[in-house]
Amino acid sequence: MTYFDHIVARVMLQARLPGNRRRREVERELRAHLDDLAEEMRSQGYDDEAAARIARMRFGEPREIAAAFASVYGPERWARRILQSTLLFAASSIAVALVVGTVQSLAAMCMAAPVLSILRDIHQESFGFGAITAGYCSLYAGERLFPGSLARAALPCVTLGLCLAALFAWLVPQQAALPLVAFACAASARLLQRLEIPFLWFAGTALPLLIAWVMIGRLIPCREFPWLVWPGLTISCKALREIVRLFERVFGADFA
Amino acid sequence: MAFDRELLKGSIALLILRLLSERDMYGYEIIQESVRRSKDAFEFKEGTLYPALHQLHRRGYLRSEWRTGETGKQRKYYGLTAAGRKAARRSEQEWISFTKVVNAMLSKAPS
Repeated sequence: MTYFDHIVARVMLQARLPGNRRRREVERELRAHLDDLAEEMRSQGYDDEAAARIARMRFGEPREIAAAFASVYGPERWARRILQSTLLFAASSIAVALVVGTVQSLAAMCMAAPVLSILRDIHQESFGFGAITAGYCSLYAGERLFPGSLARAALPCVTLGLCLAALFAWLVPQQAALPLVAFACAASARLLQRLEIPFLWFAGTALPLLIAWVMIGRLIPCREFPWLVWPGLTISCKALREIVRLFERVFGADFA
Repeated sequence: MAFDRELLKGSIALLILRLLSERDMYGYEIIQESVRRSKDAFEFKEGTLYPALHQLHRRGYLRSEWRTGETGKQRKYYGLTAAGRKAARRSEQEWISFTKVVNAMLSKAPS
C-alpha cells in the first residue's frame, strides 16, 4: 500500500459514506487528486519521501476530511440505516413466520390433522414471531452500535427484552412465557453464532428453552409436539443469520 | 499573506461557485486556479475541497460527470446548475455587501 493509498483508505474508513457506489466514486476522486499531486511533486524533482510529506501537508489531515464528509452525508446515512433496519426486521419476521409455519404444517401432516389447524392460535403466535426477530435483531443492532464491547452490545437487547416482558405481561398475561423465551433463545443463538463454532449455536436456542421448561413446564400445553418449538426456533435463527449475511452483502459497508 | 483558516472555510463555497461559473473544472484544477488567482495567498487544505464540492452538489448547485482530460486521465468535472448560477450571483452580492459593511466599520470615523 502506497502512502497515498493509506491517506485515501483512512478518509474512506472514517467518513462512513452511505452507498457502495458513492464510496467508490469518492475514493476514485480523491485518488485522482493525489495522483495529480504526486505528478506535480515529481515534475518539481521531489523524491517519494518528500513528495509524501508535502502531499500530506497540502492535502490535509484524513481525519478532518473524513469528518467533513461524514457531516455532509450524515442525514442520508441515518435515513438509509433506518430504512435498511426496517427492511431487515420485515424480512426477518416473514422468514420466521415461514419457518415456524412450515415446521407446524409438517407436524400437523404427521398427525393427520388439517394443515389449516396451525392457524388456530395465529394471533398469539405472532407475538412469538415478533419476539424471535426482536431478540435476534436487537443483539445484532447492539453489535453494530458497539463493536468493541459485548457487554454494551447486549444493552439494547436486554432493554428491549425488559420492555417486551412488561408489554406481554400486560397484553397476553397467560401466554407471555413463550414469546419471552423465544426472545431469549434468539438472542442467545445470535450470541453463540458470533463464536463461529459449527453447530454450537444450536445450544443457544436449546438452553433458555430447557430452563423455561424446567421452571414453568410445557410452553405450549395444548400442542401435541411441544418439543417442536426447538427446531422451529433453531431453523428460524439459522434463517435470520442468512438474512443478516445477505443484507451485509447487498448493502456492503452501510451495514457492516 | 496567510489568511485565517476559518475565514477561508467560510468563503470556500463562494470561491467554488465563482470559479465554476466560468467553466467546468475538476477538484485539482479548482485548487490550482484559486492558488494562481490569489497569488498563493489561499492555502487551504486541498482535501477539504471535496466535502465542500459534495455539499454544493447535494444542494443542487453543482452537476458532475467523469470525463477524460487532455492527458487521457479520467477526472470528475463539476459545473454549475441553473440553481448554482443563481446561488453564485446571490453569494457574490452578499459578499460585496458584507465587505462594504466591514470596510465601513474598519475605516476611521470622520472627525
